Amino acid sequence: MKFNELLKKLMNKTDSRDIAKKRLKFALLTDKLEVKTDTLGNLQKDLVEVISRYFVIETESIKIDIQRSEKSSALIFNTPILSATNQRGLPSA
Amino acid sequence: MEGKVIVVTSGKGGVGKTTVTASIGAALAMQGKRVAVVDMDIGLRNLDVVMGLENRVVFNIVDIIKGKCKLKQAAIKDRRIENLFLIPASQSDDKNAIKPENMVWLANKMRKEYDVTLLDCPAGIEQGFKNSIVAADEAVVVCTPEVSAVRDADRIIGLLYAQSITPKLIVNRIVPKMVENGDMLSHEDVVEVLSIDLIGLIEMDDRVVVSTNTGTPLVLQNDSKAGKALTRIAMRLDGHPDLAIENPMAQKGFWKKIGLKLSRKN
Repeated sequence: MKFNELLKKLMNKTDSRDIAKKRLKFALLTDKLEVKTDTLGNLQKDLVEVISRYFVIETESIKIDIQRSEKSSALIFNTPILSATNQRGLPSA
Repeated sequence: MEGKVIVVTSGKGGVGKTTVTASIGAALAMQGKRVAVVDMDIGLRNLDVVMGLENRVVFNIVDIIKGKCKLKQAAIKDRRIENLFLIPASQSDDKNAIKPENMVWLANKMRKEYDVTLLDCPAGIEQGFKNSIVAADEAVVVCTPEVSAVRDADRIIGLLYAQSITPKLIVNRIVPKMVENGDMLSHEDVVEVLSIDLIGLIEMDDRVVVSTNTGTPLVLQNDSKAGKALTRIAMRLDGHPDLAIENPMAQKGFWKKIGLKLSRKN
């Protein structure tokens, strides 16, 4: 067995077992980041509601997406701001 | 004392759930427990043929739930092993014939009647799976050392956790020689990826096919490695949780192989 391992190293051959393990770990990671189609829609609705308290935004051109790369994933939310909501006229209680 | 309900599940089909359920059930009954095994795969009944009881099916699980018969009338008594009963699935009904609340009701009845109830869960994560886990106290996840089976097992484990069930893992169909050569995931690899506790390791065993061919319980064949491993799993499930888990090893050397051949014949 030891000899076989040495031979494999010399031939620079990776075991399919190790490849399987690596692929699995990556697949499980990305599986967990996958969200239902309505989840992103619901999130968008909630975000618009919160942001609208502070800014006037154009709800039509909002983009929300999850970007995945080999090493990390990011939630990207992109919205043009039209103006800040006018709160000056409302003195805080 | 009330009995417990254990679900045997896997996500992926064809990894050995039904064989594992039948064998653990038989082993537990031989260890003196009153055991019922339930086929939860409505429309694709199979546990009855694996156990060799297909000719004796009269009523099924859907009949019990619809009130067409009593639990005791549907339970088929195994004639070879005392205290082992099978509740067959219905072959003609739709998957949605049973609702989760029906299963909760049935499980409560079963707990009163049997020490251990084993649910043979269908593959997939649809209605049959939901019905099986909603009624279970404990869970055993069966997985083979293949990428597809491990991935599905991970999904299933997540869904079980969501039901507050902490499952135990069986790695089935291990080929020690392939693991040694680096051509198959080892059970350590599988456990590392899934990060749950093991309850047993089962080596690939030709006797399983023979046992299914004839419908005789695997645990009654004393030359079956898989049968032995399953008997030990049954012990761990009930009363002996610390029984050591044997690691299947490749048979080495010409003489050992000859020895194995000879011992098989006797």
